[in-house]
Amino acid sequence: MIRALAILLMGAALFAASAPAGGLVTDLSNKRIEIRYSFEGAQLILFGAVGSSAVDPVNDLFDVVVVVRGPEAETVVRRKDRVGGIWINNADLVFPAVPGYYAVAASRALADIAHPTVFASYGIGFDNLPLVARSERGLLAPDPKFKTALYRLRAGENLYRQEIDSVSLVAEGLFRTDVHLPANVPVGEFLVETFVFQEGSLKARNRIRLSVDKEGFERAAYDFAHQYPLLYGLIAVFVALGAGWMAGVLGKK
Amino acid sequence: MRLFAARIFCLPILDQPQMPLYLPIAELSMDVFLVIGMGAVVGFLSGMFGVGGGFLMTPILIFAGVPPAVAVATESNEITAASVSGALAHWRRQGIDIKMGSVLIVGGAIGSFFGAQVFTYLKSLGQVDLMISLAYVIFLGSVGGLMFWESVRAILRQRSGYVPPKISREDRHKKWVHALPFKMRFRKSKLYISALLPLFIGMLVGVLAAIMGVGGGFVMVPAMIYILGMPTNVVVGTSLFQIIFVTALTTIFHSVNTQTVDIFLAVLLLVGAVIGAQVGARVGFKLQGEHLRALLALMVLAVCTIMGLGLVLEPAELYSATEVVVSGAGQ
Repeated sequence: MIRALAILLMGAALFAASAPAGGLVTDLSNKRIEIRYSFEGAQLILFGAVGSSAVDPVNDLFDVVVVVRGPEAETVVRRKDRVGGIWINNADLVFPAVPGYYAVAASRALADIAHPTVFASYGIGFDNLPLVARSERGLLAPDPKFKTALYRLRAGENLYRQEIDSVSLVAEGLFRTDVHLPANVPVGEFLVETFVFQEGSLKARNRIRLSVDKEGFERAAYDFAHQYPLLYGLIAVFVALGAGWMAGVLGKK
Repeated sequence: MRLFAARIFCLPILDQPQMPLYLPIAELSMDVFLVIGMGAVVGFLSGMFGVGGGFLMTPILIFAGVPPAVAVATESNEITAASVSGALAHWRRQGIDIKMGSVLIVGGAIGSFFGAQVFTYLKSLGQVDLMISLAYVIFLGSVGGLMFWESVRAILRQRSGYVPPKISREDRHKKWVHALPFKMRFRKSKLYISALLPLFIGMLVGVLAAIMGVGGGFVMVPAMIYILGMPTNVVVGTSLFQIIFVTALTTIFHSVNTQTVDIFLAVLLLVGAVIGAQVGARVGFKLQGEHLRALLALMVLAVCTIMGLGLVLEPAELYSATEVVVSGAGQ
């Protein structure tokens, strides 16, 4: 594993050396994650190299920020209130597009890398996710309470990560970071964006794709249940009838 | 609710899955042995008390982290299987009134259909969990309370040597029961009553099956004895016979409306339940009827209390997030 990584890193470094201006090269240890019956999450390694034309790694320090963003889905955030003595879902807010996974890894604390307005212009970090809420008057900026609740819930499920993972600068313009995908990671296309900063401003960026998919039997069962729900229901009933009949016959003995 | 439940059921096994299995419909990984174990415990209790066990299994699945909608729909599927094996045993000793069962099924089908519609509608509003909890608190609270009072009274009477006067068959029905139209003869149950009565009871049970993930035996058996006046030797068999069809229909309705039936979870639970029920039935024979009923009533009340506390206590997290549609494609 380590040897393979070393070879890949060397390959990346060679490629970086011959890359055109703004040369930033990144790659993932695995670009296709398959969710199978025993899926317990996945750990990926992202590694990259900065060419001398983007920044001068020998003379100047640089910073790397890696943003991994999962597929977007319409999400409803609900708040429970006490109504007549019991806690029920009372208020809700609909976010038409919320990434199902969002992780920011950086080589230093974000505040030390660049000014917040720089991160805002590139949409890096929880505060700069372009989340809007749907209402009768069209799309609006969401109630901050619901927005922070959404971050808190997703962070609790390990789906939103910020200021947790770090990018390590290996040597000579080489860097790496670990991407942690939990077991409840949503399926779909992921985007891995790498930003190189120097003295507070962006010097280079690039993006690569990552896909997470249910595979084999799990995929087939899920698709079948959603595409042929009546048939799926009938099969469920026949499985139950058969199993019950078998249990009844065996139980008699 | 889940946090609260996790405190009560502090199973160390929940933290460290020994043999995780990814359930494609529930969309979570659960330990195979934990699922079979839950099935076995509920199967043991249902075998001991002679009840279906849906009212125990659905809450336990919810406490274990299965989304309530999936728990309810999947449990319907498991109950179908459990009822088939139970009904087979009653069929062998001719304990099923097919005609009465058929009328109950027609009512059950109507009830289950409307129950599933309500379920789908409330799921879209985000209130399905509330409805499940409320239905549990109301029905388990009243049935458990009545059952407990009745069994304690029976135990006390037995101690003091009191024998209740026998009620004649003619006096069993109230006047209003005889006034209803569409009378039908049910030979096996030795009854001549209005078909509207079992139709209505079937409907109520169908609604409960769809919204609570139960067979409904805990409502139907008392209703058959006290309202319809059926002889006890055909009550349980006929109830099981009806439950097979109503839960089968409920499974199909939920599959079509909300895609929340997880066959794999149902089969695993069933494996445990079949084994547990065999052991439970043997233990049950050794206990007295009144004591069994009192124990069952306490258990029903306990489930009702836990569900009720989940509604009344302030939850640790007031907010919840639900994905509406999985778009699949990023950006």
